Amino acid sequence: MSVEMNQQRGPIVAEGLVREFGEIRAVDGVDLEVAGGEVFGFLGPNGAGKSTTVRILTTLLRPTGGRASVAGFDVVDDAALVRASIGVALQDASIDPLMTGRELLHLQATLYGIGRRAGRERSNELLERVGLTEAADRLVGGYSGGMRRRLDLALALMHEPSVLFLDEPTTGLDPMSRVNLWDEVRRLNSELGTTVFLTTQYLEEADELAHRVAIIDAGRIVREGAPATLKAQVGLPTLLVDVDPGAEDRARSAMATIGEPRPTRAGRVAIGLFEGASSAADAVRALDAAGIAIHYMELNTPTLDDVFAEATGRRLEGADASADVTTGESGS
Amino acid sequence: MSSAAAPQVLALSRRAILRFARQPSSWAPATIFPLLLVAVNSSAMAAVAEIPGIVPPGTTFLMFLLPAAIIQGVLFGGINGGAELAVDIQGGFFDRLVASPVSRPAILIGRLAGAVAFGVFQAVFFQLLLWPFGAEVLGGIAARFALVIVAAFASLGIGSVASGLAVRTGQPEAVQGYFPLLFILLFLSSAFFPTQLMSGWYQRVAEANPITWMIDGMRELVLVGWSWSAALAAVAVPGVLCVIGMIFATRQLDRRLAVAS
Repeated sequence: MSVEMNQQRGPIVAEGLVREFGEIRAVDGVDLEVAGGEVFGFLGPNGAGKSTTVRILTTLLRPTGGRASVAGFDVVDDAALVRASIGVALQDASIDPLMTGRELLHLQATLYGIGRRAGRERSNELLERVGLTEAADRLVGGYSGGMRRRLDLALALMHEPSVLFLDEPTTGLDPMSRVNLWDEVRRLNSELGTTVFLTTQYLEEADELAHRVAIIDAGRIVREGAPATLKAQVGLPTLLVDVDPGAEDRARSAMATIGEPRPTRAGRVAIGLFEGASSAADAVRALDAAGIAIHYMELNTPTLDDVFAEATGRRLEGADASADVTTGESGS
Repeated sequence: MSSAAAPQVLALSRRAILRFARQPSSWAPATIFPLLLVAVNSSAMAAVAEIPGIVPPGTTFLMFLLPAAIIQGVLFGGINGGAELAVDIQGGFFDRLVASPVSRPAILIGRLAGAVAFGVFQAVFFQLLLWPFGAEVLGGIAARFALVIVAAFASLGIGSVASGLAVRTGQPEAVQGYFPLLFILLFLSSAFFPTQLMSGWYQRVAEANPITWMIDGMRELVLVGWSWSAALAAVAVPGVLCVIGMIFATRQLDRRLAVAS
């Protein structure tokens, strides 16, 4: 595959990517294309093939079938050029605990051919960026999980890569550290235009950060698209309204043009909103016009877990673990 | 390896040395045990030096043991260098290096630099520490320098074999498992006891043991004086081990990377 041809396409392209380990097909014909400046979420349960795909795309593993290019270079034929173009923060932050943050950044600068002076300046800049200036001269062994991940991110950014791979960057982090890291990824993407390939098993993470997601299961991509589009494809958001007992039928009639009735318990009316979540306000106005008192209201929109469930017939592992940083959407 | 790799080798060497220095569990046993063994042996077997033909007149059994202390320390350090590489593989730091544009040989050489630096340190430290207790080196400065060179080569040789095992297995335990074998080889040599006083199969094994050839060369520099033949004999064995070890380690690295890319 020529370099020129790849540069006309997105910075990450995979075509029929396969990786077998003996009789096990960890990656089974993955096709994907990530656009420049996009945050691409690669979502799936443990063992689905996320990390294997990332290892292939970052040249750490040779594919047994198919082809892939990153930053315009073939991951097998031009592996060295791929390595020089990408930043990688792998799962379980592989950071030497016996070195200081600053020492590791200086080492990283040298490995990427950055001169001593420029490396020191860049290190200071990155330490500032990820909020580790004060801890820079402490051994990494004394860092918290969140600090290690931030340092890992700084290391991956040393050579200002155009493509950044983040492999489960927030696994094991507390909710606050996770949100801080999300902010940093957003900032990188919006300020520098860095293309981010993010693997995660956390639904909210993909939902919060990714412009588009691909859901992988058993080595195959089962859904791909913008989170909102994928969720919309699963079904309409459901509005739940608690009304006075006996007023359910009147409430349903008042909202008949706004949504289709759904089964629920007595004293509650549930409708699937035809026009999506934005028409919830119309429902409130319709009930008010009909003189029906609202005692409680809840809007349930489909989640990526619903998308995964619809695609695979089961719920995504880790869905519960991500509930502690919920952004308002309730699981269904 | 291109000249652009030199700063990478230096940076990785620095890391290897810093890690070594920051882990007392790496350097303390490798420094203390050889000294303890020398202290015990030189006291317990001082009378051996009185037997005619064992050590030249006017020399001591402590001088006889000085090369053994150096090689024993080097053995610890070399194994540790390999085990550290396995720790890098197990902990994921190796992947970080492989995912960067670093020169592949630099990964190996940078890691081995820690073992070599420690071997050099031990050769200097043991000579200086044991000097006030009578461990003279009759070959003078040149011989002392030669002992350091032998230690450097031996560290590199043992370290490269250990690194090859590390790259192949990715398990520090597997590399540490190589230590008893080397320790037995050391005891089946002239390191702690003169071959003239051995008998039977033990003597035959010791005389055929390359460690004996190396130790005897070092010992001649200490007990007799400077000679090129003794210096070359001392350097030859670790030199050959370096070549074999580096070929083994490089092949193992190529094999591991071929599985990747």
